[in-house]
Amino acid sequence: MSLLDVSGLDAGYGELQVLSDVDLTVADGEYVAIVGPNGAGKSTAMKSVFGIADRQGGTITFDGTDITSYPPETVIHEGLSYVPQTANVFPSLTVDENLRLGGYILDEIPTARREAIFERFPVLANRGNQTAGTLSGGQQQMLAMGCALMLDPDLLLLDEPSAGLAPDLVGEMFDRIDDVNDAGTAVLVVEQNAKEALRRCDRGYVLANGENRYEGSGDDLLNDEEVRRQFLGG
Amino acid sequence: MGVAQNVVFGLVTGSYIAIAAIGFTLIYGIVNMINFAYGEYLTIGAFIGILTVGVLPLPLPVAAVVAMVGGGLVSLLLARVFFTPINQTGPVPMLLTSIGLGLALRNGIRLTAGRGSRYFDTETATLRFDGLPALSVGPVDLLGDVFVTSEQLVVVGCAVGVFVVVHTLLTRTDVGIAMRAMGDDESLARVRGIDTQRIRDNVWVLAGVLAALAGVLLGIQTNVSAGTGFSQILQILSAAILGGAGSPYGAIAGAYVIGLVLALSTVFLPTGMTGLSSAIAFLILIGVLLVKPSGLAGREVREA
Repeated sequence: MSLLDVSGLDAGYGELQVLSDVDLTVADGEYVAIVGPNGAGKSTAMKSVFGIADRQGGTITFDGTDITSYPPETVIHEGLSYVPQTANVFPSLTVDENLRLGGYILDEIPTARREAIFERFPVLANRGNQTAGTLSGGQQQMLAMGCALMLDPDLLLLDEPSAGLAPDLVGEMFDRIDDVNDAGTAVLVVEQNAKEALRRCDRGYVLANGENRYEGSGDDLLNDEEVRRQFLGG
Repeated sequence: MGVAQNVVFGLVTGSYIAIAAIGFTLIYGIVNMINFAYGEYLTIGAFIGILTVGVLPLPLPVAAVVAMVGGGLVSLLLARVFFTPINQTGPVPMLLTSIGLGLALRNGIRLTAGRGSRYFDTETATLRFDGLPALSVGPVDLLGDVFVTSEQLVVVGCAVGVFVVVHTLLTRTDVGIAMRAMGDDESLARVRGIDTQRIRDNVWVLAGVLAALAGVLLGIQTNVSAGTGFSQILQILSAAILGGAGSPYGAIAGAYVIGLVLALSTVFLPTGMTGLSSAIAFLILIGVLLVKPSGLAGREVREA
């Protein structure tokens, strides 16, 4: 049975419908990428899972629980964390305070988990008292991932983790995602950088115009003539 | 009177404005509304204090605590009835609602409590520092005789206590950090699992507690009538905006600037024009906003 099961999802914002009849699954420990052109509804799919976009039809189940109607503050209790593309840290709070809120729903944050996050993202280690708004874009992205990992989630949702990063940092970001996945956390990533995402993931979906277009292992999609021609620039 | 004496007056005025302005600015930053009824929260607090002292009768410090608890509950109740249901409609409907609520509360208090003023019965000790050199510069005495009353010391002491407690709350507790997080980004706060309505409720209670304390302190300084709080709302609003709306630390700084300017302008203005002193406070407000639109402690507006 899959960990996340999205079936027949219609979603959007208010009256506007962006997705129609989208299916999506992520198995335990799997690394899944959603790619596709701008405006395809990739981010909307992710936001629907987390209760930020409006679900207009279909069902979303996580680990056997129907979360279709859950708002974000309820979804997070189910074992999935979400890193938005932008505005994913609180700029006026310190790094420490941001991490503390990452574990807001816990009674107490295990010390070992905090330390593990500083180990994984050494760039944060000596910046506990620095205001998040003064961090560089790459550091903010690391902090945002660190916050999401404070809950040790079963599934990590990442919306465009490489967007806005300097080119030499993109590879490092993908390495960090690999680390998280290797440690057993399932990952669902939405990426503009389709080739890199498909190279790294287990399985990928190509969305276009709010609908499922292609689905397959990352390598199969990378080598598919049609996918290459239409979505990967030849 | 010399400059030194007016600095004392300014610090006292700044102190109770600061206590009230912290609550006002937290509502602005976290609930995202300008609460024009907030002055009435001071009045309600002051009247709860007067009733507790007069009817029960309990000593003044206990009455102040009763007023703070009562003020917090009244604030939460009013928010639940009038503001929470229209939370999603945006700042303007909420502002208009608060103006109407303020009017209704003010007149409701006037109808039940009457037009007269009431006084806290306090015994005042006065510390006098006489015989200090005047240090005159032209017609203005820089030092001169100075006195401080025990009531003034209580006001300033309470303010310092409030600053320490609020700072600790906002930086050391989950609920306080969540409040600041909501001021930054409510949507991300929800993603972190923060129950935003619960945090808003906490903000309403805190703001009501602070308003009630400010009201009681104001009552001890002067007197209590139905218009007590309303006469302060412009100063409170100015302090909050001057400091950078939403920033409690800015509101404290803004409150003392307003308090000192109000007091000191009486020294420098010619006799007969001292009525202009509050106008000068607003001129400074306009001046600061022209130079730095985000206020003294305000952050630059975040780009999308």
